Amino acid sequence: MYIRPVRPSDIDALCEMAKNSGVGVTSLPDNRQKMQTKLDKAVTSFNKEVPESERLYLFAMIDPSNDAMAGICALEASIGHDDIWYNYHVGKTVHASKDIGVHKITETLYLSNDLTGSSEICTLFLMPDYRKNQNGQLLSKSRYMFLAEFQQLFGRDIIAEMRGYSDDEGRSPFWESLGRHFFQMEFSDADYLTGLGNKVFIAELMPKFPIYVPMLSADARKAIGRVHPHTEPALAMLQAEGFEFNGYVDIFDGGPTVSSRIKNIRAVKESRLFEVSINDQAATADLSRKDGLTLVCNRRFEDYRVILVNTANLSESTLQLSTEQARQLDIKAGDSVRAVALRPQETHA
Amino acid sequence: MLVVRPSSFVDLTSIERLLAATDARVTTLPKERGKLSEKIEQSTDAFANGVDQDGPASFLFVLEDTANNSLVGTAGIDTEAGSGYPFFNYRIDEVVHASHHLNVSSKVPVLFLSHELTGKTLLRSFAIDPDIKETEAFDLLSRARLLFIACLPERFQRQAIVEIQGIFNDKGDCPFWDAVGRHFFGIDFNTADYYCSVKSKTFMSELIPQHPIYVPLLPEKARGNIAQNHEAANRACQLFYREGFDKTAFIDPFDGGPVLAGDVMNLFTLKHVRYKKARPSDVVGGLKYLISNRSLNDFRCTIGTLVDGIGETIRIPLDVAQALNVSEGDAIAYAPL
Repeated sequence: MYIRPVRPSDIDALCEMAKNSGVGVTSLPDNRQKMQTKLDKAVTSFNKEVPESERLYLFAMIDPSNDAMAGICALEASIGHDDIWYNYHVGKTVHASKDIGVHKITETLYLSNDLTGSSEICTLFLMPDYRKNQNGQLLSKSRYMFLAEFQQLFGRDIIAEMRGYSDDEGRSPFWESLGRHFFQMEFSDADYLTGLGNKVFIAELMPKFPIYVPMLSADARKAIGRVHPHTEPALAMLQAEGFEFNGYVDIFDGGPTVSSRIKNIRAVKESRLFEVSINDQAATADLSRKDGLTLVCNRRFEDYRVILVNTANLSESTLQLSTEQARQLDIKAGDSVRAVALRPQETHA
Repeated sequence: MLVVRPSSFVDLTSIERLLAATDARVTTLPKERGKLSEKIEQSTDAFANGVDQDGPASFLFVLEDTANNSLVGTAGIDTEAGSGYPFFNYRIDEVVHASHHLNVSSKVPVLFLSHELTGKTLLRSFAIDPDIKETEAFDLLSRARLLFIACLPERFQRQAIVEIQGIFNDKGDCPFWDAVGRHFFGIDFNTADYYCSVKSKTFMSELIPQHPIYVPLLPEKARGNIAQNHEAANRACQLFYREGFDKTAFIDPFDGGPVLAGDVMNLFTLKHVRYKKARPSDVVGGLKYLISNRSLNDFRCTIGTLVDGIGETIRIPLDVAQALNVSEGDAIAYAPL
């Protein structure tokens, strides 16, 4: 499996993926026109036809055995430029009176655009059949290699919005207790509309005044900063890379935003450069195991590629690749690559 | 005979007894002797010096049954709500959340903290012996204040307000308080109410939530109680509505009870008040009136029978004259009961 930038010819595969993603992946609306717009934006971003702050880098995971698209992931260079980026900041209001001996800290949600200008890790989707063999790890972390290589194209901080808690029937207690009063629609509908990029309605309908958390239902309070059970592994993965909850939550479902300085992300910080040598005797990556794997990228922009290799193929300064691996990375002997351990606990430096 | 007169220090224990017996919440009269005595002192000072001075003054009247010298009610007026401090209310307003694109439009009620009523004429501290609550004594005690204002109109703001107690039960459960204030004050309704009467108002400013409150986020019961009066206040509401008071957009920040407001000069009592010289004598027949003297330091008001007519003088019953401390030729004010 390898990662590459999306291409104009990927449109059908992308729409198929959107159809599969369902509610909860707001950035993949099941709408061909919207997906085409997204694809066009990504293609022009990789062609450097749009300003750096407007770029969307959309990557596809390709199965080399049949050239099928197995998943996609993306990086947004800078959020909140075309439209307005909303979060609730989970802040505090303190009320105190010495006179009657009261000191009370009240959690308070403040509607904010504070994260405007941050970069964003977004749109991760892997087709169900491919949820195995470290594909999720490769897909998600391939982006860190891009960040490490092209840090100057991104902001100081990068965020990831995590899907918030909802129950088995898809009901979001946070939405039921707050948004519903103002939007008069189902969570899934509101979610779909934001996914379509229709954010004007948020400004029109969202409560502008701060919300005192104790006035929300008990279930809604619990959902603030809580991820959907299906998203817990993704959250753990981000946390292991150095991402932390930054005090901002989604205005619809209360899901947390996590963030990190780009230079402090484990995979960015620890990645190193190696010279490639071709050796068809080099051990192949054992994808059934979690350890012993290394992410490798080819350091190119338009023809960016990432694959997983066996860590044993690394020496102090060289990386041995098979002919097939070199083909997937689109490189030749003597080229420079960037590599880092797939998982944090086994740093090879 | 029932007579309204200024309170004095000798009333202290009687007022305490009365407050213990009434079910109505009288936040403005503290159930703590030291504080209560301060209130009476303020009032004594107001009657002695406050009538011709600017600045906040707080008048406290009592209702006395002269037959046995027992005290059966209290009622007060502040020339300036808040008496120099902020007077807190929530103002019920609406914000429209609409999206043409989505064909959604809703008016969302929001409570805004407001000091707007600060400085208005405030009717307050009303308490009456439960045994006479359903009699005309209720009207006498409440409306005597309006006759006092009629005697001294330049001292009062044109807009008069009165806070009507909101809904809570005998145990002190108050749904509005539990949904709003309790989160920030960390104390139950009764305790808050108690602090309100005995502590300085500073704690209100310190603890009351400053951000607007979206009404739809409150529990149904609290929502339903907004601007609703306690049933014990039904009679008070009816009286004020008859006088010409109306509901306002303001509510009490603690229990959510309504604030009524009226233009003083257009209240029933002030529109119908007449001033004449008294001629104490036997009165035969006639109609019942609220009758007061026009002494500001020794204000008295009672109910008596008059036969209204033309001329500068009017005959008033001898017992009324005695109760009001008026002699032949003294000025009186009267308004239909």
